[in-house]
Amino acid sequence: MSTTTNSKNDAYREGSLLTKSDMRKVLLRSCCQDTDWNYERQQNLPACYTMIPVLKRLYKDDRKEMAAALKRHLEFMACTPHIVSLLYGICAAMEEEHKKNKDFDPSIISSVKVSLMGPMAGIGDAFFWGTWLTIATGIGVSFAQQGSLLGPVLFLLIFNVPAVIARIYCLGLGYDNGVKFFANMSNSNIIEKVTKSASILGLMVVGAMAASMISVSIPLEVGVDGAMSSIQSYIDQIMPGFLSLAVFGLMYWLLGKKIKTTTILIILIIVSCIGTYFGVLG
Amino acid sequence: MGDNLLFQAIMIGVVYIIAYMNVYVGSPMIDRPIIVGTLTGLVLGDLKTGITVGAAMELAFLGAVPIGASNPPDMISGTIIGTAFVILSGQEVGMAVALGIPVASLMSIVTNLNMMFVYTEVAHMCDRAAEEGNAHKIEVLFNVAHFATAFILALIVGAGFYFGLPVIEKLLEYVPEFILTGMDVVAGMLPAIGCAMLARMLLRKELSPYLLIGFLLVVYLGMPTFGVALVGLCVAALVFFNSGKKEVAADVDDNEF
Repeated sequence: MSTTTNSKNDAYREGSLLTKSDMRKVLLRSCCQDTDWNYERQQNLPACYTMIPVLKRLYKDDRKEMAAALKRHLEFMACTPHIVSLLYGICAAMEEEHKKNKDFDPSIISSVKVSLMGPMAGIGDAFFWGTWLTIATGIGVSFAQQGSLLGPVLFLLIFNVPAVIARIYCLGLGYDNGVKFFANMSNSNIIEKVTKSASILGLMVVGAMAASMISVSIPLEVGVDGAMSSIQSYIDQIMPGFLSLAVFGLMYWLLGKKIKTTTILIILIIVSCIGTYFGVLG
Repeated sequence: MGDNLLFQAIMIGVVYIIAYMNVYVGSPMIDRPIIVGTLTGLVLGDLKTGITVGAAMELAFLGAVPIGASNPPDMISGTIIGTAFVILSGQEVGMAVALGIPVASLMSIVTNLNMMFVYTEVAHMCDRAAEEGNAHKIEVLFNVAHFATAFILALIVGAGFYFGLPVIEKLLEYVPEFILTGMDVVAGMLPAIGCAMLARMLLRKELSPYLLIGFLLVVYLGMPTFGVALVGLCVAALVFFNSGKKEVAADVDDNEF
């Protein structure tokens, strides 16, 4: 696992102390980002686990440095799993810098990590958990509802192809550009632009899902004898899907009132059962 | 029949472990109900029902994502038990949701306690290993904690399946018809909670028209979700390229119609 022979074409980049295989290990281990998640320091265990191949290469013979490095990577960590390799690329470059240049204070590594994980998680969460998962789910579910195997397959493909590409690309990007990359990004307010565009895409899909996947109807019939018609058919004439939109709006409002989803669910169950009993809902 | 149930319980445990491995292999979303339902269907010999129930459960758990310090209910166990019940008892899809959600909430007590005490204690053990500069020990602790947890949780869910399912089936004989229909109605409305949670995450006031556009494209034009996603991609791109200039997003949308 730790062969020290570091021939030239093995180096990750020209002049790197780290090898290609070290960085491959970092990439693979960065996949564990949500493993052993704990309430005290969240993703600190996977963060340390991911950096260990780098630390072993750099500080193998220096127990004191190793202990200090392990401790700084066991600090609090929270970031989006799918793009976190960017942060590890940056950290690897900084650890290497510290090894080469003793004037490079390792406390910089911690402070850079802490200051970057917030904005990175902001973009990553909005994009991968908010938008991209929503799109994959929307499309996957629309097929899966008919029992088609295309549903789960498309779901996995749509989500993971960009996620895996992002993970691989981000590692090198972080290592090569280090902190510079993020400094540039925050200057050009690209973060805000990306977040906004991603939110728009996500919202349109959420709207489509609300329309196609919420189903409510009022089969209760009203009218004078001979001309009975269900309330549902009247509503459909005014605006199809109106009830879905109304239920969606109600939920949105309730969530805004900080009512727990479990409470909403219980209310929903009670209302539905009473409604079905009297034939109002169906 | 008893042997069969035991074998199924073991397979259920295996499905749980596969789904729990999600966090170890890059969070590729194999713990989402749409996948877990499919896998459960596969091991119980009814793939099609598994996929359908998975879709319904997915809608029920739409907004349940682990962002920051919020940990959603344990969808894996909820989906497994719900799907297994529908497949084995032949009940309506709504029953899966009605059964799956309380199971997920119950199980999340276990997983939360684990994250509060066990994983935190592991973190402290790693601190001590770090003090000694022992990287190897951290690697071992990290992996043992994960795999041991996966195994224990799978054991709980497998046992719940083996002992719980026959009991639920018996109980169900006494439940009146309108409650069962009511559950189907609930399943129809549940996606509203998930959609609203997603909207809460993404929505700012000035962006609300986009949500409505998505909605209207479906109800009036009957577009499939995939189509709306593609239109959304175009709109997002237009906004992205134009947002350097002033706010012209509103004009852009009119071109859609």
